[in-house]
Amino acid sequence: MPASRARQRRPKPPSRVTKRPTPPRGGRTRERQKEAVRQRIVDAALALFQSKGFDETTTRQIARKAKLAEGTIFNYFETKEDIALHFFELELDHAIATVRGNARLRRAPLDEKLFALVEAQLEFLAPYERFIGAAFVHALRPTSRIAFSMRALDLRNRYIAFVQELLQESERIPTGGVLAWAAPSVFWIYYLGILLYWLNDASKGKQHTLALLDRSLRIGVAVLEKRSL
Amino acid sequence: MPRRETAAARALRMAAMTASVTGSYIGYLAQRSFLGEKKREEKLRSTHAKTGRRIVNDLQSLRGPAMKLGQFLSVQSGVLPDETLSELASLQREAPAMHPSLARAQFKGAMGAAPERVFKSFDETPFAAASLGQVHRAVTHDGETVAVKIQYPGIKDAVKNDFTWFRAFATASQIKRRFPETLLGELERHIVAETDYESEARNVEFFAQALRPLKYVDVPRVRADLSRDVVLTLSMLDGESIDAFLSRRPSQKLRDLVGERLLEMYYFQVLRLEAFHADPHWGNYLFRPDGTIGLVDFGCVKYLSRAFVDNLRAVFLYPGRRDSAAFRDLLARRYALAGQRLSAKSQRALVQMATEFYGKVYPPDIERDEERFDFGNAPVVLDYMRETQNLTRAKGTLPEYVFLGRAEAGLYSTLHRLKARVRTSALVRRCLADRTV
Repeated sequence: MPASRARQRRPKPPSRVTKRPTPPRGGRTRERQKEAVRQRIVDAALALFQSKGFDETTTRQIARKAKLAEGTIFNYFETKEDIALHFFELELDHAIATVRGNARLRRAPLDEKLFALVEAQLEFLAPYERFIGAAFVHALRPTSRIAFSMRALDLRNRYIAFVQELLQESERIPTGGVLAWAAPSVFWIYYLGILLYWLNDASKGKQHTLALLDRSLRIGVAVLEKRSL
Repeated sequence: MPRRETAAARALRMAAMTASVTGSYIGYLAQRSFLGEKKREEKLRSTHAKTGRRIVNDLQSLRGPAMKLGQFLSVQSGVLPDETLSELASLQREAPAMHPSLARAQFKGAMGAAPERVFKSFDETPFAAASLGQVHRAVTHDGETVAVKIQYPGIKDAVKNDFTWFRAFATASQIKRRFPETLLGELERHIVAETDYESEARNVEFFAQALRPLKYVDVPRVRADLSRDVVLTLSMLDGESIDAFLSRRPSQKLRDLVGERLLEMYYFQVLRLEAFHADPHWGNYLFRPDGTIGLVDFGCVKYLSRAFVDNLRAVFLYPGRRDSAAFRDLLARRYALAGQRLSAKSQRALVQMATEFYGKVYPPDIERDEERFDFGNAPVVLDYMRETQNLTRAKGTLPEYVFLGRAEAGLYSTLHRLKARVRTSALVRRCLADRTV
């Protein structure tokens, strides 16, 4: 395989959720074992979330599916919502790695970078569409840990920080403006909107989502760069 | 932004853009003009087609199928010089350009795997615009160089929505009279067909087979294994655009040869195949120094009925007087085929066209068959369009004319640019002579 192509190739979205990209290296067997168990739990949970539904799945069922004692699960995750959040953390890791792993994207216009970010997220989520829908509804509840826990806050902040980073790489965005200041947080809400649209998109290959994403990002970036409005 | 405009105009365009977020082709294009893409500005700066520019600007408020309609109308009404036509022809196929990430996502959605996995190598930067999408160069795992057409996402639904909108709009206006439902239906079928790469693949296969008797024409081969509804993979043809071809200052002999071949191709398709490549965009013809021609992009193909072609056969090179009762009867029968009555006004326009235009370009007298008509001398396309304009004014347009007119106008403007001298009547006579395909 030519090297240039290898560079361009993005990491394949995992059919099963793989490890976080920064596992403890150096062969500490216990750490590795722990990570493997965590993975087993997440895989079992996702399979059940997808087939039975998020609300209908209990930690007991997850334990049975992962062939672990229910108590073991609580050593890793306090609640099933934490398992879901862990999954979303992996999603963000994957998306960031995808954008950063593509050398060409570094010099690409901002709208393409943002497109690649959201597209990588959707690519990761695609096998678990039913679960994502349930998680979305769950997150709307005022008591939802998926939306309102510290862990959820961290996740959101990481996402916003990465978007901020991409925005700062663009030299065309005037700094110090209100728009540029608010943009990363607004982008988070925008992403949730796209996710909702994607969940309801019945077009072949989710073409309509791609079109919406492309068009809205072009307009949004043009506004940010003060090329229009 | 290239132009200053009122707040109201901008609001309108914004409304068009946001009215239906993914639902309107007009929306795509409004967005493109709203963002003032560099490419367009460059084009506007560089070319000399002043009228084209003005009309293109005017049409920007009427993009999508509305614009296509406008374009067909302009071919029909014949007020435009040939440069303008080419400008319009380039507009017609424009979809917003896709950046590599979008093209890749759309490809993956259709094929189930990313292009760099499906192909041995895949060029992320497109080398051409295609009907509502773009074309990338790639090499397959079995080593063939191919052209991969990828369609902009969601464009088919957008086009359909726009026609619904246009119908509602046209009902309440004069447009309805200029565009009877038969014509509108015909256009919708063809524009929607252009978004269907599977039907295009069938067209390519049909023409590859049917054009075989013309040894000098090359048609690409479809890679069905690498094609879906929004992705079409074809073998790559070599050859260059007419501009590049002409820049090498080809000899008069070569230009005559190519000109005769183009004309023969057209009549061979209409009279023998009863189907023709109805997209005369210059990029669709690839010229080579040995005089052979590559024909690409079969998104817009018009299939004619046998009865209609029989009528054309009787009318082409009609030997007698064209204002005779017998000739007028032939014309009336053509309209009867479409269930229409030929009005006296349309009949006059047709007879005038047959005498003034076809009689001159295609002298029916067999003695004159070796005479070459010099397309370089006069912009025949202008005469042609003046005549079709008369016909449109007389409301004598049949749905078939829209496509024949488009192909014919394209042919004449190409022959004019080639400054080709062509034995027009001899070639038509040859195509009339034999019906077996």
